[in-house]
Amino acid sequence: MATTACFIIVSRNEIPIYEAEVGSAVKREDAAQLHQFILHAALDIVQDLAWTTSAMFLKAIDRFNDLVVSVYVTAGHTRFMLLHDSRNDDGIKSFFQEVHELYIKILLNPLYLPGSRITSSHFDTKVRALARKYL
Amino acid sequence: MVDPATTPLGKMLLDEITPVVMVLRTPLVEESCGKNGISLLQMLSPFCNFSNIDVPVRTASDQPYRLHKFKLRLVYESDIRHPNLEVAKEQLKQVITRTGEKELSELGSDPTEISDVVGRSESEILPSWFQLFNKELMHTVSFSEHEAFDHPVACLLVVSSEDEQPINRFIDLFNTNKLPSLLNDGAMDPKILKHYLLVHDNQDGPSEKYSCLSCYPVVVHCAASKILTEMRSTFGPNDCQLLCINSSEDGRIEREDNPWASHESDASPSKHLGSFLNNDDFSEIKDVMQELASKHIIPYMEQKIRVLNQQVSATRKGFRNQLKNLWWRKGKEETSDSPNGPMYTFSSIESQIRILGDYAFMLRDYELALSNYRLISTDYKLDKAWKRYAGVQEMMGLAYFMLDQSRKEAEYCMENAFTTYAKIGSSGQQNATRCGLWWVEMLKARHQYKDAATVYFRICGEEPLHSAVMLEQASYCYLLSKPPMLHKYGFHLVLSGDRYKKCDQINHAIRTYRSAVSVYKGTTWSHIKDHVHFHIGQWYAVLGMHDIAVAHMLEVLDCSHQSKTTQELFLRDFLQVVQKTGKTFEVVKPRLPIINISSLKVIFEDHRTYASAEAANVRESLWRSLEEDMIPSLSTARSNWLELQSKLITKKFEESNICVAGEPVKVDIEFKNPLQIPISISNISLICELSTRSDEMESDSNSSTTELQNDEESKLLTTTGEMNSDTSSFTLSEVDISLGGAETILVQLMVTPKVEGILKIVGVRWRLSGSLVGVYNFESNLVKKKIAKGRRKVKSSPSNDLKFIVIKSLPKLEGLIHPLPERAYAGDLRHLVLELRNQSDFSVKNLKMKVSHPRFLSIGDRDDMTKEFPACLQKMTNAEQSVAGGNFNKMPQAVFSFPEGISIQGETPLLWPLWYRAAVPGKISLSITIYYEMGDVSSVIKYRLLRMHYNLEVLPSLNASFQISPWSSRLQQYLVRMDVVNQTSSENFQIHQLSSVGHQWEISLLQPFDSIFPSESLFAGQALSCFFMLKNRGESTTSSDDTSSPSCLLGRDVSLQGTADTLFDISGSPLADFHAHERLLQSVSQDDTNTVDFIFISQPSKSDSDSGISDPQHLFSHHTCHCSILGKTPITWLVDGPRTLHHNFNASFCEVNLKMTIYNSSDAAMFVRVNTFDSPSSSGQTSEATSPRSAVPSGNQAGWHDVPVLTDIKVTSQLPLNQVKRSSLLESVSPFIWSGSSASSVRLQPMSTTDIAMKVCLFSPGTYDLSNYALNWKLLTISGQGNEGETRQSSGSCPGYPYFLTVLQAS
Repeated sequence: MATTACFIIVSRNEIPIYEAEVGSAVKREDAAQLHQFILHAALDIVQDLAWTTSAMFLKAIDRFNDLVVSVYVTAGHTRFMLLHDSRNDDGIKSFFQEVHELYIKILLNPLYLPGSRITSSHFDTKVRALARKYL
Repeated sequence: MVDPATTPLGKMLLDEITPVVMVLRTPLVEESCGKNGISLLQMLSPFCNFSNIDVPVRTASDQPYRLHKFKLRLVYESDIRHPNLEVAKEQLKQVITRTGEKELSELGSDPTEISDVVGRSESEILPSWFQLFNKELMHTVSFSEHEAFDHPVACLLVVSSEDEQPINRFIDLFNTNKLPSLLNDGAMDPKILKHYLLVHDNQDGPSEKYSCLSCYPVVVHCAASKILTEMRSTFGPNDCQLLCINSSEDGRIEREDNPWASHESDASPSKHLGSFLNNDDFSEIKDVMQELASKHIIPYMEQKIRVLNQQVSATRKGFRNQLKNLWWRKGKEETSDSPNGPMYTFSSIESQIRILGDYAFMLRDYELALSNYRLISTDYKLDKAWKRYAGVQEMMGLAYFMLDQSRKEAEYCMENAFTTYAKIGSSGQQNATRCGLWWVEMLKARHQYKDAATVYFRICGEEPLHSAVMLEQASYCYLLSKPPMLHKYGFHLVLSGDRYKKCDQINHAIRTYRSAVSVYKGTTWSHIKDHVHFHIGQWYAVLGMHDIAVAHMLEVLDCSHQSKTTQELFLRDFLQVVQKTGKTFEVVKPRLPIINISSLKVIFEDHRTYASAEAANVRESLWRSLEEDMIPSLSTARSNWLELQSKLITKKFEESNICVAGEPVKVDIEFKNPLQIPISISNISLICELSTRSDEMESDSNSSTTELQNDEESKLLTTTGEMNSDTSSFTLSEVDISLGGAETILVQLMVTPKVEGILKIVGVRWRLSGSLVGVYNFESNLVKKKIAKGRRKVKSSPSNDLKFIVIKSLPKLEGLIHPLPERAYAGDLRHLVLELRNQSDFSVKNLKMKVSHPRFLSIGDRDDMTKEFPACLQKMTNAEQSVAGGNFNKMPQAVFSFPEGISIQGETPLLWPLWYRAAVPGKISLSITIYYEMGDVSSVIKYRLLRMHYNLEVLPSLNASFQISPWSSRLQQYLVRMDVVNQTSSENFQIHQLSSVGHQWEISLLQPFDSIFPSESLFAGQALSCFFMLKNRGESTTSSDDTSSPSCLLGRDVSLQGTADTLFDISGSPLADFHAHERLLQSVSQDDTNTVDFIFISQPSKSDSDSGISDPQHLFSHHTCHCSILGKTPITWLVDGPRTLHHNFNASFCEVNLKMTIYNSSDAAMFVRVNTFDSPSSSGQTSEATSPRSAVPSGNQAGWHDVPVLTDIKVTSQLPLNQVKRSSLLESVSPFIWSGSSASSVRLQPMSTTDIAMKVCLFSPGTYDLSNYALNWKLLTISGQGNEGETRQSSGSCPGYPYFLTVLQAS
């Protein structure tokens, strides 16, 4: 398990629709906003890279000091962004793929409006479990 | 590709990497220059930049080329050393602070839109001081020993003509102990080109007027010229020059293009710099410098390059030399382990190659420079002289850039240099920075802004100020990159702002954040938004710009996602800022607290009035259905008041809501605190407008004026012609609440109009923590509002819903029921009082009342008021009872009309008794509506309704169930088993009485109650069963009609109480009423006339009268209706005969005569057949013994219909007892036989009895069970009852009752 990890799902219009601090490190007060800043800033690079590859998993695309941003872009241009400090590409890839499945299940919910905030607690617990498993 | 020399980096390099001339001067020289307010260096510097020279240069190659621009850097000898880092830092800080102050004025303005910023060019975006800063930063690493381009190429010795013994002074100046360490410690060649300059101050010359105008250089001051010749003879003719300055006597020279203008700010503004220097001086200085450059320095450098090049080629070029070098280096490897690699003296070949390279670079022979740098870099690398290696790599990169070849190579070199510098630790930090800056410029020149930004990010070191500037520059790079990377731009601005703040550069911090705000405008990334707005707000507050601070801080108030401490911090800081401003801010639609607009609910009273808020919350449709038959039909009512009011109320307002002057309009609205910390909200009040109506409604806009009540203090009152009161025309209620963390509070606000007109509710205002006034306009957002009490209109705009026509005041009834318990135990019977008040002077009349649940609440008689409860219910003498029974007939009617002539007015309330009985456990909502008409006919509304609503909870108490089974031994008598369970958890009850309802039933105890139940009170959870005997008195034909009507509730009572024998009269008014309702509600589908109703009455135990709920005055009545007799068949029979006889069996067998009496209780005639089974071993008997079910098939064999299973079970359930006995008897007792006919049939008329004689023969003494007979019956179905045949059994068979006969041997 990574000591610091922050997972955010960003909708195609750059609105965060799901946020989770999944790191095992003790939470610091200003960590959350720093993580948001880093991930938000990485969006620029995602934009550039997303069209250069057909793969959904873009690997580590950006870094800030010792924090690395890995991104997975779905076909609908929803971006799964993970900020982490451990280098475990395979784990991250599996994590993203499983979260993608969960996300598709959310999308299949007729009551879920695509692009709106994901409030499902089931999704949340599943994502956290996946984070524990893979990261 | 543009020419590299014209790019910013090219210009910078041409500026910076130029030959350094060391200036040595005597104090007197400075003194003369000081007259102009400038130093010697300052005086000469502007003339060291030669833009239009034309010097041929020939370096290593034979092909000469020409230099058109050249520059010399003049430096005092004292400055040729490593700059002091602390001083440099201080200098940098000053640069930043100064520019920060300049920008203060701009900070108040609104930030520019990000879309505007994107399109701008670099020069517009970048603050101009960045270049200045970068230059200063680069200068912090000048004069390093590892780089030759900062080493002085030449030395300019300046002596004043006033100096004594100038020749000696010249020699003294170049005294080694004054020279910079570079020359002394061997890093550079002390044999350096020297140039001697004699400065002559014309003002200091002899008194004779002497003009330099036309005689230079022939006519000079005699003393000066003498020195000059002496110098020439000493130092050589070419290296000496004379410079005359201060030729102007009055010091009034002013020029348009003062070259010293940039220094002007340092001196006092009154004094003009260079005022003593006239045009001749200018040209003289220029000539001197130009000559120095073109005639001395450049040729010297050329010379040196050629010499060095030759040397280098001799020793290093060529394959052999390379091999040799390699071998030699390898051998040397072990010895070199000092951190900066070996020390290279100027005479070492490495230094010479470096000098060669640098000189070539300065003379712009980049090819030569590059080849030499390449040559040396491998050597340095092998020697592990990392700093030098990095320096060479750096120069290689620059040379590549200037040659405009191989970008990749250039970048690789720069990166290599940068990382190497960074690797060597703190000493290389400054160099790394400079290298990075050059690298950045290189990337920028090629429009690789993104890469430039990363380099900027890399060069921001630990020094916060330094990194702040770098990060800011990085952010601009992101902005300038194509396409602009706005996210990165914002992020780096924020990073930079934080660092600025760290070094107290608030102005800069705000500037960066201000740009960031434009990036993050409207972002949904909550933490980012909070961070940016909160910090910029805080900083504005520090600067005292509170207005802007508040505007920013308002953005962060809704921070529910933050932690509690952060929320506290935000709110506290915000309130502090607001307080500092010293005024009350009025904010429209602030984020704190959240107003739940969908909760907006307006409660007003037109003809519908409400006794409580609960009543107002009940759905209108419920009330409507309740009031349906009370109010006059709608159409007539409406047309009536339309007729009346057609003059007053125009069509326009017909659809508006109506409220009454003097009666408050209530508005419910929810305030929600999104935070986890409590906030206090005070002075919540409505914002209303009341425009008074003039008589002519058509010209409403002209004659009506709006009175807007703004604040309590400041009333904006515009008086109209008809209304000139100084008081407000309406009053508002104010509410103060404190919202806890994440709490939602529903606030009820009231406005009470005082005059007629049109009232409009505009919005709500409040005060947050006593400082911030929040305003919320209901109209502004066209959210569909839920108006609870909207009229019957579908198409109503929201604005209309908040608009009311105020009509003149009307009487209004206020109602109250007391003491209505909120919780009661089931069966609780209470006496309540309805209190109606009318506060106005007008009377009301024609009162009617309706209750939604008459089962729970019944309206009493007026006389009941005076009676005492529960004594009034106790059984009285017969005479009184008949009187009391007279008023039953009014009860079932739905609407209760109060007697005519009752009018309520003024202070005296109307009291009316009510009876309450908690009928069934559960929660009920009891609605009561009271209709009344105005005494005053002229009023707009003719009638009004008072709606009362109560939510009651009924808890389970005693549960009485009854089971009635026929009594086998008596005809028309039944055994009643009553099971009472106390279902409460704590209450004890005292059982009082049980009554059966109806004339035909008579109930009595089987045994004295004391013996069954001595304790008298039933404790919590306790159960009790007891048996009663119920007797049908046979008046069923008449009583069946009577029981359906509640008028006759005469019954028989059994007291279950040992001591007190006062019985309650169940035919009294409340009990009888409630029983009627119970009967209606408990009615079962099967209308069997032979059902019994029981009323079970108990009282709370006297011991626990202290508990609040049980008052000793209470009475609990439990009504159980339609109890039918279990296992009942239409026939009942009785076998009559002797029970014990003595007979002498020795004489003969015994013959016993029995009589069976059969009664048909059904309303149809029937056939009954009695079958007797003689032999105990017959099939009927045995099968009955083994399985009770087969008893029925045995009957079927006789040709009767199949019996439904339901009755089968009922019948057989009574059997087991008999069978056990019978089977035991069978073995021990010898059989008996029925004598006479084995089967006899009779036809029975309804409700009639018949007797059948039976005889049994016994052969030995013993006890016999004569139950081996069966009765089969069949109804003779009446054609009219065919449809009921489904539920009613038309035939059946009943096994005989056990009848024990004991025969003893007579002696």
